[in-house]
Amino acid sequence: MLILSRKPGESIVIDGHITVRIVRLEGDVVKVGIEAPASVPVHRQEVYDEIQKNNREALTQTAAKLPRVVAQAEPTSLGVAAAKDSFHHAHQH
Amino acid sequence: MNTLELTPTERPATNGNDVIQLPSGLLGFERVKNYRLLTRPEEEPFMWFQMVGETKQAFLVVPPHYALPDYRPDLSDLDVAFLDLEDPSEAFVLNIVTLRGKGQATVNLKGPIVINRRTRIGKQVIPVNAAEYAIRHPLPLS
Repeated sequence: MLILSRKPGESIVIDGHITVRIVRLEGDVVKVGIEAPASVPVHRQEVYDEIQKNNREALTQTAAKLPRVVAQAEPTSLGVAAAKDSFHHAHQH
Repeated sequence: MNTLELTPTERPATNGNDVIQLPSGLLGFERVKNYRLLTRPEEEPFMWFQMVGETKQAFLVVPPHYALPDYRPDLSDLDVAFLDLEDPSEAFVLNIVTLRGKGQATVNLKGPIVINRRTRIGKQVIPVNAAEYAIRHPLPLS
């Protein structure tokens, strides 16, 4: 792992288009600012860890007795959103 | 209803193959790439997302509007490209259910499984707006 020393206000540039800035120190908390293109997902490590843990808990015996779900009307809109450009972009690949 | 027709008895006309491929696997199950979506009429709207080769265990999944009617995960450009989605209507969204005992169940709205209906390639994505959604969203039960 590359370890760099930075002071508040200083930055690291990754791949020429992602900037990670140390904004300030608050006790034992480091405020980090990340500038990245919309195409680069940025999430806390905990999100991945939680989903992994939840997946492991969710694996179920297929013989399980299932509860009854409250009926819901079908959604009128499509289930996902994304910038219109991104779908067009995907089409070009 | 927007669903893939994927019951074992109702195979798609295209290639007779009902396998859904997850090239990245599910988080924590990265090595398992091939799944099938199984339904039993008496269990609707639940479905089983089952690893190919595994018959006794599976992930219980449900269309997300049963948990949250206006659920709208915002996919990153990278995920749209990865899934080769040409239009939002190609995306089939399923969310993993966890049975919590005592008749309780929660739905993971933070990490939906999105499947391209056309290619049958899917991915467990973390939407750009994942912070708006809970990993243990209570499923309304009757």
